[in-house]
Amino acid sequence: MTTVFHPLVKRFLDGELNLADLPPELHAEARAAERLLGAVDRAPVTLPAALDARVMSAVRRRASAPARRWWQRLAEPWEIRVRLRPWILGPALAAAAVLVLILARSQPPVPAVAVAAAPESVYVRFVLYAPGAHRVSVAGTFNQWDATTAPLAPAGAAGVWATTVALPVGQHQYAFLVDGRRWVNDPAAPMVDDGFGRRNSVVAVTAGAAGARAL
Amino acid sequence: MLAGDIEQYAELVHRYRDRYARFAARMLGSVDEAEDAVQDAFIRAFEQLRQCRDPDNFAGWFFLILRNRCLAERRRVARAGPGPEAVVVPAAEQADGPLVQEERRRALQQALLELTPEQREVFVLKHVEDLSYEEIAGRLGASIPSLKMRMHRAYDRLRERLKDVL
Repeated sequence: MTTVFHPLVKRFLDGELNLADLPPELHAEARAAERLLGAVDRAPVTLPAALDARVMSAVRRRASAPARRWWQRLAEPWEIRVRLRPWILGPALAAAAVLVLILARSQPPVPAVAVAAAPESVYVRFVLYAPGAHRVSVAGTFNQWDATTAPLAPAGAAGVWATTVALPVGQHQYAFLVDGRRWVNDPAAPMVDDGFGRRNSVVAVTAGAAGARAL
Repeated sequence: MLAGDIEQYAELVHRYRDRYARFAARMLGSVDEAEDAVQDAFIRAFEQLRQCRDPDNFAGWFFLILRNRCLAERRRVARAGPGPEAVVVPAAEQADGPLVQEERRRALQQALLELTPEQREVFVLKHVEDLSYEEIAGRLGASIPSLKMRMHRAYDRLRERLKDVL
């Protein structure tokens, strides 16, 4: 007996087709699909009332931590108000113009070719040595950790897998998924804590000619 | 609120504590683990409150934090190795009585945990939370074809895993 659903039965499971839309030879398979969906547990889940207190206790501890208060002072935008009297506007503009002239003379001329718009994305090549693997993919913050969108292909030497992905400029966390079940970090890249006790590889994509670079 | 007012945050916690609890429970396989995940996600959300660009959509933003927490936990479990095999009692020859249905429900929940976290996520959002592909795509920022591909692979893996009870 085959253990994969017929494509039409998958559309039936997706709610796109009714049983009457399927040919009679697929009705038994569709009933198995119905039993599958019938077994889905949709019962609501209510968490214990003590959860609120535990969360708020932790939040209050964090909010009152000295390090957090200092960080907030540094990270919060400051509002600066400047009040100018009309009679001082003329001398102030003249001083600003003189300052601009002095700074402009002290800077070497910039060639026009350097003024190029930053590209929105850069091609990054991911390579993993995984001998014995049957399939490898890369997932990360750039594809919402969807391991199906960026598969690696065997590349040259035995056991070497590679793919090229266009990544937007910025910092991205990622990991390789080997054979659909084993997560492997990139041994050639730095790692960061993911905030939940694990570590992810990280790549910083810059707009320069070098493309991606290690942090 | 985004300035981190603690009392207002307590209201948000109370309002949204159960909203995604079922999603977390089905993703992680137990209410206890869901409770831990929701608690961690609320604390993390408070620490990152300034990054919530749309205060009117706190629920959607919080969902993504909770979802990432669930995916990270499942990756951690997957790295730690497979858990104990569930015992599936063949029920194909029996009538669909309450016991058979309960056994099938347990077998499905165990089989869901054996999917990849990404496949399980789509299955839970569509068939437990009853969202459409369009709604799931909007929440996760993924394309509908990639979601369908994940889902259809999940169907096949579930059928293979549950062939004795379906």
